[in-house]
Amino acid sequence: MAGPSFIDRARSAADDDDDFPIGDFPGGGRQTIIPQDLAEETPFQQLIRHWMNERHAPDILPGQEMLLGRLLDHIRKQSSDVELLRADPDSSEEEHFRIMLVQTEVERVKFVIRSYIRTRLHKIEKYAKYISANPEIHEKLSKAELDHARRYARLVDYHFNQSVLQSLPEQQRSSEENVPFMPPMTAQPDKLRPVFAHALQDCPPMRLPDGTMSEMQKGQIVLVPFYVVEQLLLRGEVELV
Amino acid sequence: MNNASQYGDLATQLLTESRRSTATNTLLKYNDVLVRAIIREQRDLEARIEAALARSAENPADAPEPGKDPYMSTILLYQTAIFRNKRCLLAYHHHRIEFLKDLYWSVGGALPLLLALPPGGTHANAGAQAGGAGAAGAAPQDVRSKLSPHEVDFLRSYAASLLTLRTEAFSSDAGGAVGLTEDIDLLAPISHPPKDLQVHVRVVRDCGVVHTELGAIDFKRGHRFLVRRSDIEHLIVQGYLEEL
Repeated sequence: MAGPSFIDRARSAADDDDDFPIGDFPGGGRQTIIPQDLAEETPFQQLIRHWMNERHAPDILPGQEMLLGRLLDHIRKQSSDVELLRADPDSSEEEHFRIMLVQTEVERVKFVIRSYIRTRLHKIEKYAKYISANPEIHEKLSKAELDHARRYARLVDYHFNQSVLQSLPEQQRSSEENVPFMPPMTAQPDKLRPVFAHALQDCPPMRLPDGTMSEMQKGQIVLVPFYVVEQLLLRGEVELV
Repeated sequence: MNNASQYGDLATQLLTESRRSTATNTLLKYNDVLVRAIIREQRDLEARIEAALARSAENPADAPEPGKDPYMSTILLYQTAIFRNKRCLLAYHHHRIEFLKDLYWSVGGALPLLLALPPGGTHANAGAQAGGAGAAGAAPQDVRSKLSPHEVDFLRSYAASLLTLRTEAFSSDAGGAVGLTEDIDLLAPISHPPKDLQVHVRVVRDCGVVHTELGAIDFKRGHRFLVRRSDIEHLIVQGYLEEL
């Protein structure tokens, strides 16, 4: 069942990522949890991993603000370098070609960042009410995202009130009710949803839904409910594919 | 209320409308009449429950034994209908705002443009139609006429909330003010990653002078340009330019 991950493929592909050197980690708290053999990932490869995880996970994952900040700084630096080189009349034909490559790459990195943020936004809006009601999720969001979630939850509530609830009889106006045999009115992430997980290293045992224990070897791919691999995912031991 | 119909029939009609909207990917007109009719049904049901409760309280002797109140089943029936109607109403409204949000993103967050758009169809041919219709084509069939006033309010507040998000995004504790807005245009399309730096475009609608990498370009209808994608991407999204 082993297969090369997207990251591996990206790595074995032609080396076009040398615009993103690694050495400049500011030594953030998250650094310590990244296993040894992952530490060589470039920031952009990390972002791709987090982006794919976010897109596949039913629940919202911790935001990667440090990483984004680093990439954005880098993009800014690259862009200003490019401007300088372009303005320089002495740069050669070959340099102009390189500049074009760098610019294209910058656009592509921006695309991934945009898609990553939009994916999170989509989930934040979908579960806005659930998020604002459960403080333990708050730490996964940035302040701006959390504010947006709260505003959005209020907005939807207000809209429902104005359009429907306020016209109903007094007893029917609540927007939160627990009726037996009916799903709750607040949408929640479905952690039972199956996901494909790819082990980036040998993983500690995990408990499957039927109670048996199972261990993943490095490189294995399994299809399991999301909650089974949730912890492994947060520790960076698996990625979703 | 028509006696031949059952409770909940109207709500089913409302849901059918939502399904139709999804299936055809068109925005249908806000069905104010039906929504009101269901709300009337809700009031009627509530009145019936109260009447049943009152009768139950008046005639406690009707119960053959404690806990077997003969009115309970009636009340339960009404109650179920009420819950169902309410969910249907909310689902209808929710479905609509989700649809509107999709529209909002698909035109790159240009709210005035969105409200004037002919409903249904993709933004590309929507732009073409608007361009073809010219200034005189003040189509009565724009999106705004399909919305309830509350939905217009919702879109405005939603746009405002996103604007706040974009200005303060990721500047909290990510090591200094990162200022996401200047670098990343969140509203740009995310369906296809960029493959080329430059893009050939044809101008569908005049959009005046735009500053690009190559200097200011006056985009006049019918002209073609080779420009840097990131400079004019929003104009493609909003239907001013067409990719060739």
